[in-house]
Amino acid sequence: MNDAIKLRISQGDPVIHDVRNVQFPERYRGLPTIEDKECANGCNKCSEVCPTNAIKLNPLQIDLGLCVFCPLCEEACPEKIIHFTNDYHTTVDSREKLIVTKEVKLIRSEIASEKIRKYFGKSLKLRQISAGGCNGCELELNALSNVNFDLGRYGIEFVASPRHADGVIITGPITQNMAKATEICFEAVPNPKIIILFGACAISGGIFQNSEAIQRKFLEENKIDLYIPGCPPHPLTFINGLLDWLDKK
Amino acid sequence: MTSLELQNNQRFDVSSIPFLIANDFHKNVIKALSNGYRMMALTPIDQNVSEKIIAVFADNTSSSIHIIGGVFDKSKLEFESFANDFPQINYFECELSENYGYVLLNHPWLRPVRKQNVILGNKPYQFYKLEGEEVYEVAVGPIHAGVIEPGHFRFQCHGELVYNLEINLGYQHREVEKLLLEANQNQRIILSESIAGDTSVGHTFAHCSAMESLTQTQLSLRAEVIRTIASELERIAMHLSGLGGVSNDVGFALPASSYGRLRTLAINSLALLCGSRFGRGLFVYGGVRFDFNDEIINSMKKNLEVIRNDVAEINNYLFSSVGVLTRFEDTGTVSKELAQSIGLVGLAARACGLEEDARISFPYSAYRYNPVSMITLSSGDVFARARLRALEIDESLKFIFDQLDNLPSGEIKYAVGAIKNHSGVVSIVEGWRGEIVHIAFTDGNGNLIQYKIKDPSFNNWYGLSLALRKTAISDFPLCNKSFDLSYAGHDL
Repeated sequence: MNDAIKLRISQGDPVIHDVRNVQFPERYRGLPTIEDKECANGCNKCSEVCPTNAIKLNPLQIDLGLCVFCPLCEEACPEKIIHFTNDYHTTVDSREKLIVTKEVKLIRSEIASEKIRKYFGKSLKLRQISAGGCNGCELELNALSNVNFDLGRYGIEFVASPRHADGVIITGPITQNMAKATEICFEAVPNPKIIILFGACAISGGIFQNSEAIQRKFLEENKIDLYIPGCPPHPLTFINGLLDWLDKK
Repeated sequence: MTSLELQNNQRFDVSSIPFLIANDFHKNVIKALSNGYRMMALTPIDQNVSEKIIAVFADNTSSSIHIIGGVFDKSKLEFESFANDFPQINYFECELSENYGYVLLNHPWLRPVRKQNVILGNKPYQFYKLEGEEVYEVAVGPIHAGVIEPGHFRFQCHGELVYNLEINLGYQHREVEKLLLEANQNQRIILSESIAGDTSVGHTFAHCSAMESLTQTQLSLRAEVIRTIASELERIAMHLSGLGGVSNDVGFALPASSYGRLRTLAINSLALLCGSRFGRGLFVYGGVRFDFNDEIINSMKKNLEVIRNDVAEINNYLFSSVGVLTRFEDTGTVSKELAQSIGLVGLAARACGLEEDARISFPYSAYRYNPVSMITLSSGDVFARARLRALEIDESLKFIFDQLDNLPSGEIKYAVGAIKNHSGVVSIVEGWRGEIVHIAFTDGNGNLIQYKIKDPSFNNWYGLSLALRKTAISDFPLCNKSFDLSYAGHDL
C-alpha cells in the first residue's frame, strides 16, 4: 500500500491541462502552408515526389485527406513555398476543407448542429473500427485514454459494443475483408449516430488508395461528420477537433 | 546440403541459387531442417513465375542464411508436405498454397492464411471443431472489445479450459507486397512504414537495408547509429505499452497508467528527432533524413532518464505483487521444445529460453560494432514475456545512452546507386516483437519482381494458439497481450 502511494506521488501530475496550446517538437509536421509566391516556370517537383498524389498544380494545392505528412514536398520545392507548420488543429467537418491552398492559413470545423450538440455535447461514446489500419492510428487512439491526454475528462470515451455507442471512428483504408464487418458494426449503432474518419487511409485510402484489396463503398453511402487528417493524426488533433465541433471550452 | 550460403543483407546473383528438381529440393530441405535451421520464407522468386521457388533458412549458430531453390513442372505444382515432421513449416506451406496454388501432399492441416471464404480442396474451409458432451465453442471477432486490429478467434472449450484456439486472420490484407512492386521509391518507404504501424522503424529499417544492398549503397556510421537508436526507442516504447497492457489485463491500474505515461516520453523522444512519434519520415535510402543536435540529445537524455528511474520503481511494484504474480506465473506456458518445433521468434522465443535475437545472431547496421546482450528467460509463461520486456527496456536504454555519448561524426546520407540487375537480398532486422525478414529480387532492368515480407507475428500467432491450450478462457486477454502480435504485419 505504501509503495502504491509512493508510486502515485512520484507520478506527479502528467495531465496536459491546456490542450489548446501545446508546444510541439520543432520537427513535428502539422498543417502545411503555401506561401504566396509564384512557382518556378513549369516546376512540378512537389507533386512528382508526393507518394500519395496529394498535390495538384496550377494553382498549387495540397489535399490533407491524402497527405501522409512526410516532408518530401517541402524538401523538393526549390522556392521553399511549401512549409509544414507546427499547427496541430487540423480536424475539419467537410472533405473540401482539407484542401490547402495559398489562401488557407488555418483549418477548423464548424460547430456541430444543435441536434448533435444536444445529443452528444456532454457525453460521446465511440466504437472504433480498425479496417486495415496498420496499428499506428489505433495506438494514437489508445493513447487518448492514457494519463497524459485523459480523454474521459471531456465525456468522450471508446466503448466495446456498438450498441452502447453514439457513432463510429474508422481507421484504415477499409479492406475488402473488413467491408462487411464495418457495415454490420455501423448498423448496430442506434440512431442518431456519427462517423469520424481518423487518418489518411480512412479519409482517402492514403498510400493504399490503388490497392485492389480495399472496398470503400461504405464511405460513399454514408455521411461523414468529421475528418481527422494525419499519418497517424496526433491525439491532440482529435481532442481539439472534438472540442471545437461540440463547442466545448 | 546444396544451398546458397549468405550473410544478412548480402546481395547475390539470382544465378547463384541452386535450383533443384522436385526430388532433390525435397531432400535438401529435409537436410536443412534436420540440421536445426529455422525457415524464414518459402516463396517464388518472381511473383509471376510460380514454378521456381526458394526455401530460405536461418542458421543461428553460424549466423548464415541458406537458400535452397526448387523448380517444378508448371502443370504439376506439388510436393510432399514437410509439416508432419517439422511443424514450423506448416504455415509457410499454407501461404505458398494460398498465393501460388501449390498442392501439398499429405499436409496435416491446410488452412487459410489471409483469404476469407476460401475453398480448400473443393470445399469451403471448416474451422476445427471439438465434439462431445458439455463442450462449447466461443467465437470472437473480427471486431473486438478494445481499440485494436481485427481478427477472428475460435475457442473450443470444455468447462473453463480451452482445448483448441484457432486464429483466423486476413482482415487487414491490403496487398502490401504487390503494391511495393508497383511503387516508386518514395512510395515504397511510406508503404514499409505502414506494414505494421507499431513497428514502423523495424520494417522501414529492413526495407531500406534490402534496397541499399541491391543498390550497393554504403551508409555512414552516424546514419547507422541513428537508425539503431530509433529502433531501440521503438522497442522501449512498445515494451512499455506491452507492460501497461498486461498490467491492465490483470486489473492493476496504477502500473498500467504509469507505463502509459512513460511510453509517451519514449515516443515523444522519437518525435524530437524526426517529427513523428512513430519514427515516420526518418528513413531514406542511403541513410536518415534527420540529424541529432545538442538540444535534441539533451532533451532525449532527459526523457530517457525519467524513464530509467521511474520504470525501475514501477517494475518493482508490479513484479513484487503477489496478486500479479499469481496471474502471470504458469499462465499461457509454451515449453522450449514446443517453441523450437513451431519456430517461434523474437521476444516470445527468448521468453522460452531460445536464443533468438537477430541483433546478435545476424548482426546488422550499427549492432555489428555496438553489440547488445542476449537476454533469455526460461519459464515461457506470461511472467517471462512480461519480465523480459522489463529487462530489454533496461538494455535498450543502456544502448541508447552509450550511443548518444559516442555519436560518430559525419554525413547522415550518402548517394544511392542504381539497382543491380538479376539480384536478390535477404534483410533481417530484430523488431521489438522479433525477427523481421524482407526478401527482394530484381529482373534484368533493375525492377523489383518479388518482394516478400515476414513479420515476426507470422511465426508467433500459432504460439499464442498453443499457449492457450489447457488455459482458462478468461486468461485469453492476458495471454494475447503478453504476445502482443501484429494483425497488419501478418495480413500484409
